[in-house]
Amino acid sequence: MSRNTLVFAFGVSFALCVGWIVFPRALYVQKRQPLTFLHKTHAEKSGIADCGECHTLRADGSFAGLPAMEKCTGCHSEKIGDSQAEATLVNNYIKPGTETPWLVYSRQPANVWFSHAIHVKLAGLACSECHSTYGESDQVRTYELNRISGYSRDIWGHSMSRLRRAPHEGMKMSDCESCHQRHQVEVGCLGCHE
Amino acid sequence: MKVTRRDLLVWSAGAAAGLVVTPVPWKILDDVSIWSQNWPWIPQPAKGPVEVKQSACTLCPNGCGLRVRMAGGCPVGLSGVNTNPVSRGALCPLGFGAHQLNWHPRRLRNVKHRGNISSWSEASAAFAKAAREGPIVIVDGHPGRSASSVLENFAEKWGGGYRVAMGPETRSLAPYELWSGVPATSLGYDLENTQTIVSFGAPLLDGWGIPGRFPRLWAERAASMNDPQLRIVQADPSLSRTAARAWQWLQVREGSESALAAGLVRALLEQNLVPAHGAIPLATISEAANETGLSADRIRELARTIVAKPPVLAVSPDFNPAVAALNVVLGAVGARGGIVRSSDRTKKYSSVAGAISNVRAVVIDSSVPWDFAAKSDAEVFRFAAWDGGSSKGDWLLPAPGFLEESTDISTPPAYPVETYAVAANLAKPTFEVQTAARFLANLDASAGTPETILHSRCEQLFRSRSGTLYGQTITPMTEIASTQELEKHLWDGAVWVGERCSAKLACELKEWPSASPSSRAGNWTQPWLAPVLPPLASKLYIESNLRGTPGRTV
Amino acid sequence: MSARYGMVIDLDRCIGCGSCMVACAAENNVPALQQATVRTGLTPIVVRTVSNGQEGAARRETFIPIMCMHCEHDTPCVKVCPQQAVEVDRATGIVMQMPQRCLGCRYCMTACPYHARYFNWWDPAWPAGMEKSLNPGIAVRMRGVVEKCNLCHARLHTAKEKAAAAAKREIDPTDYVPACVEACPTSAIHFGNLADANDPVAKESRSPEAFRLLARLGTEPKVYYKSKEAWVRDLAETNSAPRPEVKHG
Repeated sequence: MSRNTLVFAFGVSFALCVGWIVFPRALYVQKRQPLTFLHKTHAEKSGIADCGECHTLRADGSFAGLPAMEKCTGCHSEKIGDSQAEATLVNNYIKPGTETPWLVYSRQPANVWFSHAIHVKLAGLACSECHSTYGESDQVRTYELNRISGYSRDIWGHSMSRLRRAPHEGMKMSDCESCHQRHQVEVGCLGCHE
Repeated sequence: MKVTRRDLLVWSAGAAAGLVVTPVPWKILDDVSIWSQNWPWIPQPAKGPVEVKQSACTLCPNGCGLRVRMAGGCPVGLSGVNTNPVSRGALCPLGFGAHQLNWHPRRLRNVKHRGNISSWSEASAAFAKAAREGPIVIVDGHPGRSASSVLENFAEKWGGGYRVAMGPETRSLAPYELWSGVPATSLGYDLENTQTIVSFGAPLLDGWGIPGRFPRLWAERAASMNDPQLRIVQADPSLSRTAARAWQWLQVREGSESALAAGLVRALLEQNLVPAHGAIPLATISEAANETGLSADRIRELARTIVAKPPVLAVSPDFNPAVAALNVVLGAVGARGGIVRSSDRTKKYSSVAGAISNVRAVVIDSSVPWDFAAKSDAEVFRFAAWDGGSSKGDWLLPAPGFLEESTDISTPPAYPVETYAVAANLAKPTFEVQTAARFLANLDASAGTPETILHSRCEQLFRSRSGTLYGQTITPMTEIASTQELEKHLWDGAVWVGERCSAKLACELKEWPSASPSSRAGNWTQPWLAPVLPPLASKLYIESNLRGTPGRTV
Repeated sequence: MSARYGMVIDLDRCIGCGSCMVACAAENNVPALQQATVRTGLTPIVVRTVSNGQEGAARRETFIPIMCMHCEHDTPCVKVCPQQAVEVDRATGIVMQMPQRCLGCRYCMTACPYHARYFNWWDPAWPAGMEKSLNPGIAVRMRGVVEKCNLCHARLHTAKEKAAAAAKREIDPTDYVPACVEACPTSAIHFGNLADANDPVAKESRSPEAFRLLARLGTEPKVYYKSKEAWVRDLAETNSAPRPEVKHG
C-alpha cells in the first residue's frame, strides 16, 4: 500500500471518528430534568393506568401536555416518603406554588400544529406509537438539547444516521409524512402548519 | 518520517471524503435550517390554555360587550358579544386592538409632578394639603358609574362641585334639557323605531353612538335595499362615509346646518306639512337656500320627502339648537321614533364647558378625554392610564389601564332605555395604579367606595324587579331570585336592559334659537378617552389609505 | 367531499370602518411597525375607497375590502413560486402561504393580480411586554418572507380539534369563522363553503349582482363581491381598479 493511500485512509478514519463519535457528543447538551419523576412508580403505587389521566385533553380539544402542578398537589400536598425527589417537589415547587420547568422531549416549533385529539380520538393511535414505552419507564431520561436548533434530540431521534431507528423514534416532518403516507392520510401543508 | 505538504493535502482530502459519510454536514444543515426558521429573537405567543371571559369595553362610555380570550393571565384577543342587545356583537375598529394598549410605550407608569417623576405619597400629601385649603372641583367623563358616585359625594362634601365632560351625543341633546328641564343624560334617540333620519353632518355610520347600534340597524333596514325601511338623508359638505351610504346625500355648504334646519321648518310650515307652531325662524327659505347652496325648491321638496315616511328624526353631531328646534316642529320630541326619555331621573349635571374659577384644586378622572384641559389656574390632579405628551395638569397620576379596573357601566349616551352592566377587571398592572375614586376615598372614606355602591345598586336593581337580563340566556328580572344571582349574571357579562320609560317629555319653543357655531363631525376616535390609540390602528391610519390621521397620537 | 371556502362581500353594506383590518391584524399577530407605510405595511385585508370618478353631488364612493382571493385555477402565486412555498389546499381550497419555505424573492407579489401579498420588510417587533398580548397558536412570521390572508385557518384547526375531541370528523361551521367576518358591524362579509350548493354563500355567489375582480384572467377567485350599483360592478374588470385614493376625513 502506498504512503498516499495510507495517509488518505488515515484522513478518512479521522473524519469518521470525529463525525460519528465526537460530533454527536459535541452537538448536544446533556440536561437533567428538574425532578426525578418516575412513570412506573405512579402507575404502580397510585394505580394510574391511563396516560390521559394526567396528560388530559381540555374541553375545547386542545392537549394540556404536562399536567399542571395542581395535579401533583392532589396527592403530594405533604411529602410522601422521604426520597430526595419528593423533598425537591414539595419544597421547590408545591410550597412556593410554581410550575416545574420540565424539559419537554417532544416540543415542536411554534409553526407546527399538532392535534392530539385528532390522532388519538379519530385515528385511534396509541400513545406509545409516538412516545414509545416511556410511560412505563422506571428512570428519568436525560434531556439532550441541540445546540444549533434549540430543540430536543428526540426530534431527530437517537440514531445519528436515522437508518435503523425504532418506529417511534424521530419527530421530524419526514416522520409525520411517512406515517401519513403509510396510513394514506393526506393533509397538505395546511394540515400541520400555521 | 517526515510529514510533507503532500501528506497534509492527501490527509485533508481523505478527511473531507470521510466527512461526507458522517452526519456532520447533513445534521448541521438540518439544524441550521430549523434554527433559521424560528429566529430566537422573534417573540412567540404564549402557550397554554385559552380561556374565554366576558367583560365590557371601558375606553368610551358606550361600554360594548367584550368577549375576551385570555392566555397566561393576559387578554390575547377581543371580539363582541352577540347576546348583548346594546352593542349587538360589534366593536369599533379601535376596540379590536385595545388589548395591546396596556403595553403602549406611552403608558403612564409613574406619578408625575410637572413632568418630573414623583410618588403616590407625595401626590397624596399635596392633595390633602389642597383639600384643607380650599374647594375642590371634580371632573368626570363618564357619569353614572359607581365610581362617579364616589366622585360626586366627595365633591359635594368638600365644596367646589362635580362637573361632567359630556360627549358630542349628549351635547346634541342639551337643547332639550334647556327647553324641557329633563337632563340631557337621561334622553335618548329612539332610532330603532324611526323611519326617516335627517342627519346634519352626524357621522351616523362612522363613530356616532354605540358602534353596534346604528350600523347594525342600517344594515338590517336600509343597506342595499331599493326601498329602505330606514331612510337616511345626510346633509354634509363633502361625501362623508355616512353620506356615501345614505339614501340621499345633500351637498350643503360648510357650517350651514342651522340655516338648513331653519329653511326646512319654513318649508314644512309653508306647505302645511306640520301643524302650525309658535316659534318661526326669522330666515326665509330663499335665505336658507343662499346659505346652504341648495335651491329653494330643493328645500321644499326635501320637506315633503322627510315627512313622507314618518316617524322622522333630525340628528346633529353636536350641540345645535336649530336642529333640536326642527325636531320640536316635526313633533319628534317625546314621540316614538324621536327623542325619548330613558329614565325619569331629574338630576342634572353641570357641564365643564365654562371656566373653573375660585377653586384650590381640580381632580380630573381618567374617564375624561385627554383633549379636555381644565380652564383654571388651580392645581390640577389628572388621572390617566396613558400620557398623551403635552402637559395636561400639575399632577399626572397613573390610573388602571384597559380591563384593569372593575367598574359598572350605566346607560350609554343617547341610548333610549336604561342599561346596566359590569366590566370585570381581567388584567393586572405590574406597577401601582389608582382610580380617582380610590384616591379620594383614601383621604375621606365617607364618600363610599365603588364596590359598596356597585353592590347597593345591584340590590336596588334586584328590588325594582323591572327589565330583563341578557346573558347566555334572556332572563326577566322577575325570575332572578336574589341580589347574589343578579350580581353573578352581571359579573359573567350579562347586561340589564330596563323597560321603556313612560315619563313625558315636552318641549316648548318660545322663540327660534339663534344659530350656534357648527362643529365638525368626528369619527370613532372622538369618544375615545385614552390619549393614545391601539398600535394596530396604524393599519387604518398609516399602513393603508383608509383614513386620514386623527388629531390624536397613534 | 372537500370544502371550497370562500366569501361573498356585499359592498353595499360596507361602511369602510376598518374593523376587519384591525381584527385581522390582532388575530394573526401582525405587527404595527413605526417605520411601516402604505407601501411597506402588512395588511392581509385592506379596505380601499373607490369612486365613480365624478365630482360634486354626482360623486359616489364605495369601500372595497381586498384580501387574498384564493384563486382556484392556475393560481398565479403558486405557479411562480420557486420554493413550493404556496399551495392550494386540496381539502379546503385555501391558498396557503408557507412562510418557513419562502425565500423572499417576492415573485408571487408581482404575479398576484390583486396585490394581496405582503412582504415582511422588518423583524416583527412589539413594544416591551406587548408580546404577551399575542394570539396563541399563531406563529409570528420573520423578516424576509411573504405573508397574506389564509382565511384564519388557525381557526379551522381549532374547530377541527374541537370536533375531534367529540369524536366527530366534520366541523361545526359556526366554529370556523374568520376574524374579519366576525368583526364586521354590518355583516357585509359572508363566509361559507362554495362547494356546498345549499350553503347560503354559494347561493349568493350565483346571484346576478355578484361578481369577481378581474374574472377575465380565469383564475377563478373564491372571493366574490356583490353590489346593486352598476358602476361598482363595472370596476371589476378595470385594470386600474380598485385604485386607492388618498382620503382624509
